Amino acid sequence: MAKNKYLISILALIIVFAGVLAGCGSSSKEETKSDSADSGTNASTSSGETKNLTFMFRGGPDEQKAYTAVIKQFETDHPGVKVKIITTTADQYATKLKAAIAGHSVPDVFYYDPGDLRAYVNSGVLANITQYVENSSIDINNIWPYGVNFYRYDGSVTGQGDIYGLPKDVGPFALGYNKTMFEKEGIALPDKDKPYTWDEFIKVNQQLTKDTDGDGKVDQFGTGFNVNWMLQSFVWSNGADWLDSTKTKVTIDDPKFAEALQYFADMQNVYKITPSVQEAQTLDTYQRWMKGEMAFFPVGPWDMSTYESLPFEYDLIPMPAGSTGEPATWLGSLGIGVSADSKNQSEAAELVMYLTASKEGMEQLVSAKVQIPNLIDMAQTWAADTSTKPANKEEFLQVVNEYGRPIPGTQTYNAEWYNLFFTDIQPVLDGKVTAADYVKSEQPKMQKLLDKAIEQEQKSKK
Amino acid sequence: MPTKSKLYRKEMIYGYLFLAPPVIGMLLFTMYPMLYSIYGSFTDWDGLGQMNFIGLDNYKDLFTDELFHKAMFNTFFMMIGIPIGLVLALLLAMGLNRGIPGTTAFRVIYYVPVISSLAAISILWQWAYNGDYGLVNQFLDLFGIKGPNWLANKHTVKPAIMIMAIWKGLGYSMLLYLAALQSVSRSYYEAAELDGANGFQTFRAITWPMVKPVTFFIVVTSIIGGSQIFTEINIMTSTGGPEYSSASAVFYMWQKAFGNFQLGYSSAMAVLLALFIFIVTLVQFKFNEKSSGDLD
Amino acid sequence: MVLSSKKWSTANIIIFILLCIGAVFMIAPLLWMVTTSFKTKMEVFALPPVWIPEEWLTAKYSEIWTAGPLLSGIKNSVIVAVSVTLIGTFTSSLAAFALAKLQVPHKNKIFLMLLSSIMIPYPAVMIPQFIMFSNIGWNDTLLPLIVPGLFGNVFMIFFLRQYLTSVPNAIIEAAKIDGSSYFGIYAKIVFPLIKPAVAAQLILWFMGVWNDYLAPTIYLTSEENYTLQLVIGNFNAMYAIQTDYPLIMAASVISLLPMLIVFLVFQKQIIESVAISAVKG
Repeated sequence: MAKNKYLISILALIIVFAGVLAGCGSSSKEETKSDSADSGTNASTSSGETKNLTFMFRGGPDEQKAYTAVIKQFETDHPGVKVKIITTTADQYATKLKAAIAGHSVPDVFYYDPGDLRAYVNSGVLANITQYVENSSIDINNIWPYGVNFYRYDGSVTGQGDIYGLPKDVGPFALGYNKTMFEKEGIALPDKDKPYTWDEFIKVNQQLTKDTDGDGKVDQFGTGFNVNWMLQSFVWSNGADWLDSTKTKVTIDDPKFAEALQYFADMQNVYKITPSVQEAQTLDTYQRWMKGEMAFFPVGPWDMSTYESLPFEYDLIPMPAGSTGEPATWLGSLGIGVSADSKNQSEAAELVMYLTASKEGMEQLVSAKVQIPNLIDMAQTWAADTSTKPANKEEFLQVVNEYGRPIPGTQTYNAEWYNLFFTDIQPVLDGKVTAADYVKSEQPKMQKLLDKAIEQEQKSKK
Repeated sequence: MPTKSKLYRKEMIYGYLFLAPPVIGMLLFTMYPMLYSIYGSFTDWDGLGQMNFIGLDNYKDLFTDELFHKAMFNTFFMMIGIPIGLVLALLLAMGLNRGIPGTTAFRVIYYVPVISSLAAISILWQWAYNGDYGLVNQFLDLFGIKGPNWLANKHTVKPAIMIMAIWKGLGYSMLLYLAALQSVSRSYYEAAELDGANGFQTFRAITWPMVKPVTFFIVVTSIIGGSQIFTEINIMTSTGGPEYSSASAVFYMWQKAFGNFQLGYSSAMAVLLALFIFIVTLVQFKFNEKSSGDLD
Repeated sequence: MVLSSKKWSTANIIIFILLCIGAVFMIAPLLWMVTTSFKTKMEVFALPPVWIPEEWLTAKYSEIWTAGPLLSGIKNSVIVAVSVTLIGTFTSSLAAFALAKLQVPHKNKIFLMLLSSIMIPYPAVMIPQFIMFSNIGWNDTLLPLIVPGLFGNVFMIFFLRQYLTSVPNAIIEAAKIDGSSYFGIYAKIVFPLIKPAVAAQLILWFMGVWNDYLAPTIYLTSEENYTLQLVIGNFNAMYAIQTDYPLIMAASVISLLPMLIVFLVFQKQIIESVAISAVKG
């Protein structure tokens, strides 16, 4: 008797156990299975005509909304294909994607940073989509070549060879200014064709930095740049760079580099045209710009939707030019690629092309003001229309066509060496360390990480 | 006699049956992964397919990795909060042990942060530490102190996180202390009073020995918990703080493993972390061998 | 009794006041969180600060449900926490019973081995665990968060074993002689006896699982699989740049409410049971 009772209890336990396992398993699995193809083996493909894709991307709320709408459109245009969307914020994206890759659950279609191209191709994460692109109706010559070349790789050099993705867009980073503030202060508007020199830039900023309500605190600032995104412009336009042309040597110990960095730090410490460290910490400069407290602030195409509702007029101008006399800035890009493990590669490639190269998709994204057109002919008509904000959209195209450059960190096997530069930089910005000292002490550390990245690349090629 | 040995056999079988789940769980989810971590720490494991034996290279690299040193330093630094919290909790518990009216209400209030989720609390405090609009500086302002922007300043970010951790954990330690104090018989105190002992002497002779096991328990669990601090860092300073001044060991490990495909390198950190916790626990057990005879 | 006669001695009054001040420190941030969630964006950034909103706006509390997957977050957290703690408590208490009361060869060695495993921190095993679960396709599901817990919790085993040492062996011997099965002894005698200790541990564990952040961060990629903690973490990451603090705070308040209600309803039991774990530990 006793024994039976015990057995029954154990049995009951096992059933509960199994039930819970199965229950949780199926409840969570069902959600993913029914929508995603990557985890399904035969089940999802044999279940009918529906092909499931997962698409993982990142962006602010406006971008998410815009892309979700385009995906809906794609589903309507492609009956039988269902797309499950995974979104994250920009900060979390890299970790989430890399965890998914390490965990063998790569989404069918996903954004990736051009800097990761080689690693992903060498380790078989990215699918070669050349044949799909070539057999499609899209005209690859009508997409910015700068963008397309980021995602071509022949096994040793990027920029040529097979296609492992298409650019989501190209992201020119231009300088914006608060037109309303200039008019209020009676200062001549900046010339959209002639960049400020560094001296001129400081002068006009000094004129604009002031206490407008007389409470003893400055509440209108010239500018307040984030070093992560703005230092490049100053360094490059001064004729320096992070890397040499072979991309194997860190060149930040160039005096011209130090000069640019010092200039950047002096904007805060010497010329006092930016919020103080304290002020910048309490309210982000981005937020101050949005409130109209700041004269100059960088503008990327992805900002346009948010800036629609700014309480002032803004427009674009070239970045200030250093000793080379030419403006410089970075031109980013994010690729959309297909997983090599995808069960539905042709549909996945179709989605990539829809998002990057189709007229229907592009029109929606552009009208949502989250990016510039990917298609060259469309971009020209778009930029010519000065009735929509910002009027000088042409500046974006000039960055793309003339003076935009890739971010140094994306040109090497990984960006750790580059990121270190910005992790340690605060004392320079605070005026506690001179730029010259900083670049000298930081160069060897960065070089070490770069050497490691190069070594890693050799290994991954085998 | 044969029945008895049969009974023992049966008892043994059931005993093992009852013990099986935790033992299997431990082997499967702790021991095996731990051994794998150790193995992985000697390789260039990248999660993409490569896993070559490279000997002690990862450990050598850790030795010269400044970010790792920073992360370790930050982790230890934030543990300064443990003794502070301990003292506060004991004082609180002693205050609450005097039969003052409202004790129940106090207990509840002090315990609310403990039951609150760490993620929500981190979000709340992140905002509370805002330089201009945050609660903390508004409060300091009442005394004419201009507070820093806590989380954006490399000197204040660690104390800020520490204060939050003390605030969050205070109620728990207090409750444990209170329970220990309440188990002390009143007659001890009465006897001490009769002997003319002063407050400090009473504390040293009666209270402290009685709460020593609880102190031991709190210290060990706090160090184990503190060395794994992650959530607060991840939410409050998502990049690891200014100049990486708030990044913890686990935060760095997480970044390296899941953000950089350096699983082998991360595993080396994991092994060091495990080793550290192992040693701390061992030392603590040795110290307290006398007072905690419970452990066989 | 000695103390009660001098209940309001000077010392006690001072201590009472100090305790009140301390209580304000403990509760003020939480109250501030609540009031912020009812403020307008303007009030949030007002200087001097607005403590109590002029008008209590409830708009954010309806907005949060569409601004992020809050509801599914709650659901997922409940699934994980309930299944882990209920089944895990069962397996743990059985094991504690075997360790404390059954004649099992080498049981002390087994116990020490289990104990030593709690010295191994989760971060030390998370990478291989992650790869392990990924290989069986459990990435982006709740299973990696649930399954390890089902096998029991060593902390709980430790406490329950300690607690059981106070239960006289005679009771168990008597039951054995009566012919009760071992599971019967557990269910009818042991479990009722250790119920308070079990409750204490269960609540602590539940809170631990409910509040876990690291493991969900690693495993979950799709928003619909996020646990509550990830959902509100995401709210913070997403809306802070738009300085929508009322929205973030409203979501955080919602995430705290379930635990708070459980706590306020059962505060006596919870506090007592935590205390038990201290005395027994």
